Amino acid sequence: MRRRPGIGGLQNAAAARDQYRMLGENVAKIRTDMMKEQLATFRSQLEEFARKHKNDIRKNPAFRSQFHEMCAKVGVDPLASNKGFWAELLGIGDFYYELGVQIVDICLATRPHNGGLINLQELCNLLRQRRKSDREAVSEDDCLRAISKLKVMGSGFEVISVGKKKLVRSVPTELNKDHNEILELAQAQGFVTVDEVERRLSWTSGRAIDALDTLLDEGLAMIDDGHKDGRRRYWFPCVSSISTSVADT
Amino acid sequence: MQKLGDFKLPHFFNYPPYFTLQPVRDTREKQVQVWKELILDYCRTQKIFVIGLEEDFPLFSNPVIERSLSHEAREAFISALVSEAGRAEWLGKGHRKCLILWHRIQDWADIILRFVKDNGLEDSVITVEEMRSGVECRGTELHGIDRAILMRALRLLEQKGKLAIFKGTSADDEGVKFSM
Repeated sequence: MRRRPGIGGLQNAAAARDQYRMLGENVAKIRTDMMKEQLATFRSQLEEFARKHKNDIRKNPAFRSQFHEMCAKVGVDPLASNKGFWAELLGIGDFYYELGVQIVDICLATRPHNGGLINLQELCNLLRQRRKSDREAVSEDDCLRAISKLKVMGSGFEVISVGKKKLVRSVPTELNKDHNEILELAQAQGFVTVDEVERRLSWTSGRAIDALDTLLDEGLAMIDDGHKDGRRRYWFPCVSSISTSVADT
Repeated sequence: MQKLGDFKLPHFFNYPPYFTLQPVRDTREKQVQVWKELILDYCRTQKIFVIGLEEDFPLFSNPVIERSLSHEAREAFISALVSEAGRAEWLGKGHRKCLILWHRIQDWADIILRFVKDNGLEDSVITVEEMRSGVECRGTELHGIDRAILMRALRLLEQKGKLAIFKGTSADDEGVKFSM
């Protein structure tokens, strides 16, 4: 069809546009309504579920972790606020705040020994020791969740992965790749020697000494000149289980 | 947990680097701190009054992990106690022996005063030797106290006019006359 110029043509075009827009809005509205409804259903079912399994969620860490996963998928964050339905129903907010405070406490208490870097597993053990009066079990997943809440405060809490282990960092030290590799190497025995670092990581002696010196300065390593082979050992309290014990003295 | 007699050793005692003086200041301060506490604790529970730096002292080595403190480390830890007001005092200038004052001299003086009151000795005479090994001191903290520490505490009380120390017939038989 040939487009005709003139007022009539312009008005027609405008009217058609309006109609398309209205139709489009209608469709979108229907879709949103439907989705809202679905979400509402889902939410109410999730709430129903939470109500029904309240005790399991509170007492069983594995169940709790799966519940969190489910919530995350529908965009519900039971930890987002201490007020409101979720907190009232589950008391879950309080639980994680409490964990958070205790984690900060433990990190501070063990910092003199480990320089502010602690094995997640140990942190968890210490947490359990501290809470032993409390019957509700605490899993590593709970620890991680509590730590992620701590981040909001900008206190520099962070979880880093070194080899197979997760370490929790409570000081603003930046660890580079070299440091991480040394920490990973140290996991086997709790310590490394300069020789070992050079050999296993194929580094130059300068590189090894440099990285080890930084770790020393940061308070993450301690030297040990007492072995009879005469080689200096660099020990890392954050990867040895000794810090567990130091903290409870 | 490792034990020395009935003394429970802290866990750091089994961690080898604690036996090497740490080069980094912060780490070293923490190291010195835990050692100071351990030495005081151990001496208090075992009633040890003097440590000889060159002698075999159970805390100076840990055969379980095959580590022992160097002379430098021993001196560093003990010096830290000495510089913490009233916790230890070198005996002589060579820094070879050290009095460990798990009770400060002032506290020992208070213990003596209590002892005097409990035994009604306010106006009596007693020999120094009796105070640390006589019948009256049994079961009190004065029993077996190091003579040097006892004398330091008595001198302190003498300065305050609570007693007078006088020489007996032989050199190691000094007497004390209380006047309280």
